[in-house]
Amino acid sequence: MKHSTVSVTTKTNIAFISGAAVMLALFFLSLFVGKYPLVLSRILAGDSMQVKVFLTLRLSRAVVGLIGGFALGIAGFVYQTIFHNALASPDIIGVSSGASAGAAAGILFFQGATMITVCAFGGAIIAVVFALLLSTLDKSGRKSTVILAGIAVHSLAQTVLMCFKLVADPEKQLASIEYWIMGSLNGINSHIIGGNIAVCLVCLVALFVLHRQSILLATEETEAKMLGVNIFRMRLLLLIFSTITVSCIVSMTGLISFIGLLAPHSARKITGNNHLSTMILGGIVGSCLLLGADILARSVAATELPVSIFTSILGAPFLIILIFRGRQKL
Amino acid sequence: MKKYYVLLMTAMMLSLAACTGNAETVSENSDSEIVEASETVSDEDTEEVEAEETEETVEEAIDYTIQYPIAITDQAGREVTIESEPQKIVSGYYISSSMLIALGIEDKLVGIEAKADKRPIYKLSAEELIDLPSVGSAKEFDLEGCIALEPDLVILPMKLKDAAATMEELGIPVVLVNPENQDLLLEMADIIATATNTVEKEEELVAYIDEQMSLLSETRDEVAGAGIETASVYLAGNSDFLSTAGNGMYQTDLIALAGGYNVASEIEDSYWVDISYEQVLAWDPEYIILTSDADYTVEDVLNNENLVSCKAVVNGNVYQMPSKAEAWDSPVPSGVLGAVWLANTLYPDYVSDDEYNDIVEEYYETFYGFSYNEN
Repeated sequence: MKHSTVSVTTKTNIAFISGAAVMLALFFLSLFVGKYPLVLSRILAGDSMQVKVFLTLRLSRAVVGLIGGFALGIAGFVYQTIFHNALASPDIIGVSSGASAGAAAGILFFQGATMITVCAFGGAIIAVVFALLLSTLDKSGRKSTVILAGIAVHSLAQTVLMCFKLVADPEKQLASIEYWIMGSLNGINSHIIGGNIAVCLVCLVALFVLHRQSILLATEETEAKMLGVNIFRMRLLLLIFSTITVSCIVSMTGLISFIGLLAPHSARKITGNNHLSTMILGGIVGSCLLLGADILARSVAATELPVSIFTSILGAPFLIILIFRGRQKL
Repeated sequence: MKKYYVLLMTAMMLSLAACTGNAETVSENSDSEIVEASETVSDEDTEEVEAEETEETVEEAIDYTIQYPIAITDQAGREVTIESEPQKIVSGYYISSSMLIALGIEDKLVGIEAKADKRPIYKLSAEELIDLPSVGSAKEFDLEGCIALEPDLVILPMKLKDAAATMEELGIPVVLVNPENQDLLLEMADIIATATNTVEKEEELVAYIDEQMSLLSETRDEVAGAGIETASVYLAGNSDFLSTAGNGMYQTDLIALAGGYNVASEIEDSYWVDISYEQVLAWDPEYIILTSDADYTVEDVLNNENLVSCKAVVNGNVYQMPSKAEAWDSPVPSGVLGAVWLANTLYPDYVSDDEYNDIVEEYYETFYGFSYNEN
């Protein structure tokens, strides 16, 4: 018994160190991969164009890759934990469809990246608040109610999105909406990320502070009640924080598929438990995925490609390998 | 004009003499020195004008040369300052790229919009453009790739406002254009010509377009004078036969220019709209015109069982706008040729085939340097 605990801890440590190393390596690689030829020595020498490109475009993009992936991983972990559901992800209670409908409204009625970001954020929050309000109608406080309400809001938001697509100019706006839904870090620059990153970091800190409570929610509800946790309120609070985290990221990048679902799963496969370490590892896996996917998205073709293609291409085999390795050991 | 060049040369010599460096430093003159040089020119110019006042007629009274630095207001209402005559231009929009060819400065292009190989006009007129690096499209613009080309002027469609703001911050002048209709197209021509010091060529182009416009206007008067009823036209869109242009669109104006009437103009929509076969039959147009880039053929329409009773199909009046050089149904510089083609199709007795062929031939010969009819 003791032996196995040690081996699990060692395994977790190895996973942590290698994960963090890969994440940092990808972060630095992400700083120096791109169409504009950035050279470290010239940046240090103060070449004004090099410095400007580095600060305005490259750095902010790498930071969004790092923090965005991390945040999506953490939020996915929280969702899966509090719903006891391995398939729960921010999409399930309407965050992404709300954000998409919001972004579509931004593309149709306003101009500029800032307005699209604001609208997407608003759409995501409205969808989730609506879902949570609906779920409070069920006084029993079952967690399945939140999911059901989420599914209803999700389809409602899809309908709104469809209406927006219908009135969009197919040559221009419709294409923009479709591209937004595929997700890309291409439009990121230092001016639009500040607020989002700040809010996102605050929520991440809150999620870490509350991590013990979220793990308690994962245990039997009666047990949690005995330990003095107000389940309903705690679940609501965690949901709000993780939703805002996700909204901050997707409102800048467009939808990024799979990370919220896959990163925490992979982490759990590695650590074999549901503790804080798994949560952090989920974040690290998320970061690696998004950074890696974005590096590919900007370098494999002559034009920019949607990042979601690569999060899925990189993520799916990774998860499959983990599942099969887990099987063999059993 | 000759006199001016002499002056320019003198000014260049003066600034050369002022420079203590060798030939290489001169060629890499800083912007301020170039400005200085042009100022010298303008000073001498005014003196010269004063001197010339005694002469009877001044033929080259209009001087089209641009004095840099120059401040321009682009079509997004942004003020852009261009420090010196651009030598490395990126054009991220096929309409502005075509305009640059017409203005004769395609050799200054260092980057171009995506899918340049799909546009026959480049193949016919400036094949080298196809091999230029692509900066992407309005949907997925390659910001870093564009900056890496180190352009001194970037021309982008209005949609790329955000990219323009970012590049402005990096010190790259960006001009946003929005040629949605004929007036805006001419405005765009003016902005680009001013930015690139090609106003003289632009005047020539505008004069040519104006000439065709008045020809079309005469034709419409003649047709009306002869008591011929305005031809009704259904314009079938690129993606689908049932996609058509409503009243707010450029295509409706184009049909009107040619003396026709767009049956779909009762739809107050500024985008392409989807309609039904029943609607087409209710309109019963005399002519069906397919856009240049339509994904289907005239044959498809003639064989379409849903349309057998439509007047245009019965009389075989189904035509596709030519796409040999450019899509004339879009607001490209050559857009007026689309109206001439349509006038020739609707009223062959008033705009003859020969007339149409001559107009197109002259246009491409003059501004794009190739023979349309022989290619």
